[in-house]
Amino acid sequence: MAIMNKQITIGSVSGNDEIRPGYVLMTIHVHRSFPEPRPGQFVMIRIAGLQEPFLSRPLSIFSFSRGRSHGLVKLLYRVAGKGTQILAGLIRGSQVEIVGPLGKGYTVDPSRENRVLIAGGIGVAPLSLLAQHLCRLSGRGANPAVVYLGAKTADELVGLDQLHKYCNSIRVCTDDGSLGEKSLVTRTFQKDMKKHDPARTSIYACGPKPMLQSLAGILKDRYFCQVSLEERMACGVGACMGCAVAVRDENGDKTYRRVCADGPVFDLQKVIWE
Amino acid sequence: MVVEIAGLKLKNPVMTASGTFGCGEEYAGYVDLNRLGGIVVKGLSLKPRLGNPPPRIMETAGGMLNAVGLQNIGVDAFIEEKLPFLRTYDVAVIANIYGESCAEYAQVARKLSAAPGVHALEVNVSCPNVKKGGLSFGADPKAAAEVTKRVKAETHLPVIVKLTPNVTDITVIARAVEEAGADAVSLINTLTGMSIDLKTRTPHLKNITGGLSGPAIKPVALRMVWQAAQKVTIPVIGMGGIMTAEDALEFMVAGAKAVQVGTANFINPLATSEIVQGMRQYVKHHKLKNITEIVGTLKV
Ligand SMILES: Cc1cc2nc3c(=O)[nH]c(=O)nc-3n(C[C@H](O)[C@H](O)[C@H](O)COP(=O)(O)OP(=O)(O)OC[C@H]3O[C@@H](n4cnc5c(N)ncnc54)[C@H](O)[C@@H]3O)c2cc1C
Ligand SMILES: Cc1cc2nc3c(=O)[nH]c(=O)nc-3n(C[C@H](O)[C@H](O)[C@H](O)COP(=O)(O)O)c2cc1C
Ligand code: FES
Repeated sequence: MAIMNKQITIGSVSGNDEIRPGYVLMTIHVHRSFPEPRPGQFVMIRIAGLQEPFLSRPLSIFSFSRGRSHGLVKLLYRVAGKGTQILAGLIRGSQVEIVGPLGKGYTVDPSRENRVLIAGGIGVAPLSLLAQHLCRLSGRGANPAVVYLGAKTADELVGLDQLHKYCNSIRVCTDDGSLGEKSLVTRTFQKDMKKHDPARTSIYACGPKPMLQSLAGILKDRYFCQVSLEERMACGVGACMGCAVAVRDENGDKTYRRVCADGPVFDLQKVIWE
Repeated sequence: MVVEIAGLKLKNPVMTASGTFGCGEEYAGYVDLNRLGGIVVKGLSLKPRLGNPPPRIMETAGGMLNAVGLQNIGVDAFIEEKLPFLRTYDVAVIANIYGESCAEYAQVARKLSAAPGVHALEVNVSCPNVKKGGLSFGADPKAAAEVTKRVKAETHLPVIVKLTPNVTDITVIARAVEEAGADAVSLINTLTGMSIDLKTRTPHLKNITGGLSGPAIKPVALRMVWQAAQKVTIPVIGMGGIMTAEDALEFMVAGAKAVQVGTANFINPLATSEIVQGMRQYVKHHKLKNITEIVGTLKV
């Protein structure tokens, strides 16, 4: 028999601020027993007592801290459609239902101490929690990770302040050059690639599909690289098979894995881009 | 709250609907499986199935479309890897089965009947009949009856036939499978639908069409359960959009002896156990001896 140790958390929204046009940072007070999330994990969130939107929405955990009286879950999200629009309209004190933390997070191999984070747009969300985690792992003075952060425009470049708390080596780029280098984030990384010895490096990436696909082309199979993927979800816990993503199995054959339960983090080389 | 379906004793009338509860493991951390009336596992086929390419699901008004394409690990892996876990619980396990031919249905049924820990079979006849050019077994009374007979011949377990709503008159199919020896019918499976992205003028689902489930289909499901219950003498198991105990009780009033809860699990992982709880309260409040007293009590 399985241990019944999972629950639905009722959280209270203590902040829900549009930090950039169309980008919102939500802070949620949860019970102090909320399980410690691993970087890369996500929650399924919905407005308590409401059936609109019908399905809960998956959002990565952007940051987590535990105080004496409660835990604080932070989510950073882009208003993409109806569901996130409704979430963005929540005022302080609103109650949300959270299932999670869910999914398998990033794996950190201590022997590969050169860590590279590559974030595109809102893909910065799960990588921020990873940066926080790596910062705790590596001692004082050591650089926990080299970060490549990209977005379409300066307006859409979010999460930089948070990353600055943990890392001092951050390369910023935008498609239009409105902030940092005018380049795609994968291109900026590629120019730097020689600096990262494959044997000592782990790369963690999250961003839009084309970005991850181009990264796959750049890295080939020379680097250890994990990426966080997105698919539409219904259950979030592995029961509905709705969030399938095509990957190669142990024998190299194509199979479908569940983003929610087998991921959302996958080895980049295993992903099949359809 | 005990109900009996074709000799199968359920602790209460609330089961999980196939394809929405995995093989129990995914929700076992949230819900005490021992408190459920039954667990209907994900549809099983003879060989593992890859399923459809993504995107497989889309939200709709009051529900969702899915085109999972019956991705499953196959009956052998189920028996080896999933059943041992389910056997650690004291709960009725109902295996939902699927085949592309009558022979395949029969083979799956035979394997499951020999496996300890399976208490009943639910035959999903909503899948395409390859021989009949893809028309679903469940849309043709003769084919549905034939599948039922073949499965019955292979098993000592109670056989529940799960009906598709994508037919003109569901009672015709219900009657046909009853005559063929079905011990019970369950309905409804999902209603075929589609959803379009206007910006790109493409379907939201890669498979183009998918099965609609959730509260959006409840009125249709209630109507069909009510119609079927009047035409057959075997027990009817009702489902389609049940979110609350009240929803479940409405199905019972319409004639369902037991119910299944599907999409609601996605919205609230505790849905099944909350529905059981709500039913208990109803029994108490209305001073019923057993919940079955309300079955088929619709006043018209
Ligand atoms: C594991 C995981 C973690 C995520 N973390 C974050 C996060 O931290 N911050 C954030 O802003 N977004 C995140 N997303 C994406 C987020 O879930 C979707 O943007 C959101 O569900 C869209 O809902 P909506 O109702 O606003 O938009 P909809 O109206 O449903 O859709 C708007 C657009 O977004 C696409 N979309 C819908 N659902 C998803 C989905 N689940 N994944 C990807 N695209 C989708 C649709 O195809 C459509 O193009 C994550 C997704 C997953 C699977
Ligand atoms: C994601 C998903 C997968 C399903 N898979 C199966 C299946 O494998 N076999 C089956 O007989 N029904 C399957 N169904 C149908 C449900 O068991 C149920 O009949 C239907 O969803 C209506 O009930 P609901 O509205 O409570 O979900 C599936 C439904 C969903 C939403
Ligand atoms: S969302 Fe249901 S299996 Fe992943």
